[in-house]
Amino acid sequence: MISNMLRFPITMFDDGLDDWFFPRERSVRQQTRSAYPLVNVGSTENNVDVYIFVPGMEADALDVVIEKNLLSVAGERTQADLHQDEGDYTRQERYEGQFKRVITLPDEVDTESAEAAYRDGVLHVNLAKRAAVKPRQINVAVH
Amino acid sequence: MSEEKKMNVNKQDLPADVRTSSAAEVMSMRPLTDIHETKQGVTLTMDLPGVSKESLDIDVDKNVLTIKGAVNLHTPVELSPSYMELHSGVFERRFTLGDELDSAKIEATLNNGELTLHIPHLEQHKPRKIEIKAA
Repeated sequence: MISNMLRFPITMFDDGLDDWFFPRERSVRQQTRSAYPLVNVGSTENNVDVYIFVPGMEADALDVVIEKNLLSVAGERTQADLHQDEGDYTRQERYEGQFKRVITLPDEVDTESAEAAYRDGVLHVNLAKRAAVKPRQINVAVH
Repeated sequence: MSEEKKMNVNKQDLPADVRTSSAAEVMSMRPLTDIHETKQGVTLTMDLPGVSKESLDIDVDKNVLTIKGAVNLHTPVELSPSYMELHSGVFERRFTLGDELDSAKIEATLNNGELTLHIPHLEQHKPRKIEIKAA
């Protein structure tokens, strides 16, 4: 009973955040792999900028699609051939395999304007905001 | 694989941001890394999206390998972030190299934000066949 109570606070905080404060060695299999790819979104007065972090991918292996207001990026990341018959992985944190991320674009973007560029493992999609989003005065006709 | 072999590259377990950043420095992120070992040496593969060759530093001081790279997204100055999963502008991570590794012969390749480091074993640590002479 007492031992259970003592253990409780430890398991309660066993979700990763405590690693910041109580770092410890984890085995290769326990190591959490983070989401792939990560996404940042920002906007300027006239544009919306989406950054998708896909390190290790070639630009032409990325499948970038806009449908309605959904931007999706899909692909597959494979491990480099490292004479795997001979050696062994002692640490594997990087994502491997198929991935797909779907991002809901803000209503005000003109999806027709989308432009994509790739550099250093970052896919940058730039979209213009529609002028129509600006407030518009409606004249009231008097009969 | 023996325990001894696994000690070739030890992750220093503290998060890079806690361990290395001075008060004036921005918080850094620890890049995700794969470590693969063969009889010939060790290969590290690391995710460094947004880091160019020019903004990447790889240093070896005694037996500590430090990888540090600044992320440059070429964002417009007036960009205001609305959603962020990648927060910091700097990746940093340190590894302690085992004595059997030849740190003078590290080969580095950076391609599409993916860094590959080959660190060979020292010649005297490579497996060697001994010939037996006929008496």
